[in-house]
Amino acid sequence: MTKNSFLSVLSQKKVLALFFVGKIVRFLFFYLFIYYLIRETGSLAGYNFHQTIFIFLTFNLVDILAQFLFRDVYRFRPKIISGEFDLTLLKPQSALFRSMMSGADVIDFVTLPFIFSLTIYFALFLDPGVLEVVLYTALVINSLLISSAFHILVMALGIITLEVDYLIWIYRDVLNLGRFPIEIFGRNMRTFLTYLVPLFTMITVPSRVMMGAIDFGVVAVSFLVGVILFFLSLRFWRVALRHYTSASS
Amino acid sequence: MHKYFKLYSVAFRQEFAYRANFLTSRFRNLFQIFLVFYLWSSVFSQEQDFFGYDRARILTYVFGILIVRTLVLTTRATEVAGEIARGDLTNYLVKPINYFYYWFNRDIAVKFLHLIFSFFEFLILFYILRPPFFIQTDPVAIIGFLLSLIIGIVLFYMIVFIAGLVPFWAPEASWGVQFVLIFVVTEFLSGALFPLDIFPRQIMDILSFTPFPYLLFYPIKIYLGQIGLFGILKGALVGFLWILILNFFMKKVWAAGIRVYRAEGR
Repeated sequence: MTKNSFLSVLSQKKVLALFFVGKIVRFLFFYLFIYYLIRETGSLAGYNFHQTIFIFLTFNLVDILAQFLFRDVYRFRPKIISGEFDLTLLKPQSALFRSMMSGADVIDFVTLPFIFSLTIYFALFLDPGVLEVVLYTALVINSLLISSAFHILVMALGIITLEVDYLIWIYRDVLNLGRFPIEIFGRNMRTFLTYLVPLFTMITVPSRVMMGAIDFGVVAVSFLVGVILFFLSLRFWRVALRHYTSASS
Repeated sequence: MHKYFKLYSVAFRQEFAYRANFLTSRFRNLFQIFLVFYLWSSVFSQEQDFFGYDRARILTYVFGILIVRTLVLTTRATEVAGEIARGDLTNYLVKPINYFYYWFNRDIAVKFLHLIFSFFEFLILFYILRPPFFIQTDPVAIIGFLLSLIIGIVLFYMIVFIAGLVPFWAPEASWGVQFVLIFVVTEFLSGALFPLDIFPRQIMDILSFTPFPYLLFYPIKIYLGQIGLFGILKGALVGFLWILILNFFMKKVWAAGIRVYRAEGR
């Protein structure tokens, strides 16, 4: 399935090149913005240039990995509306897996080496030890688990309400708030981003760990949040499937 | 002319036909304002001046973006690309209607509708965030601001329309071109995310020869009173020159495109 998805995009090399260039240019604009901002102000919410860039890279890593893996969620609504989801349910394969991961995005795939390289490059400025690197990697995987939970939640809500497009974009908009350190936000907003949408767990905790600020209690709670959200989303998916009426087919 | 006015009621009805879509697009704008507001609020928390802005002016810039962005960057003309790629352009070619003016009028209608909503959003955000706000009272700055808004609206429409003509030659590349030109380059170089004068003087000088700063950055700078009469006239002249250049280019591309158009997909 993913192979087919890759081949269909690779056949349009001009499109692939345009999107790749667009994503790199967007990254460079943000990089320049952070560079000139911190050159003038000295720091952003107490973080220096390398730390701020690293938070920005962690956000990009989680965001692009999620888009790469879960791109098919963006195409889920038409399947529900048209009744094509019936065919997915009939196949001898997990309907959830097929709906979520059958169309990995090649454009994000080609952007990943660029983001990986920069993340490693800027991580070196933070002078991490082995423990920091191992914990950071595990926490980024945990962030993907949380991201997958939100994608499953959006699809499940899509089955019940027939609205997916809007919900997934709102999730993306909220995630985009993690581009910069969470400390820039006011108290109420920070509470919202910590407890309701665990942006703190997804972006801030891994970034802080790599900076050497390891709080094992916070790390343990982060993993717990990831596991609980993932299992809750699976449960909600099963509830949503029971509500699927196949009305369009 | 009457037929173009009819478009306004059609555009209103089309926007409200997909209410959830419309309301979500407005709701999504709020997140971007939140991010930019808190970012600058954090930077200016110590009551220091940076990049020639004080706290009131930078937060006025952020709130000004909400209104100016709605007026300038709200568009439906991105659908031009899809209509050409699908062959739907044929429907317009057989009607006594100018395709360029058709989409321009639809855009104005949509902008007007979104402006009403953005005004209420402005009030709600203002109530929640209670930022210090700079109110301009100089008539020269206000007239200059309104003039620069008109230039920005026309310039952006032309950029979107030209990007939409790509499918005449490469139907599959239309979304890619729009992504790079509108969602990446315009988003950043228009000043939608941050004031462009955080860049060094040399970069600003280069940018001032491109059409992008005249979309959002210049109108808001004029409102803030940071550009004098000479700067307003210079900006208006450069913006107007870009309108002429883009108009010439657009006509050439449109004429060339129509010659190769085969209404594929019809």
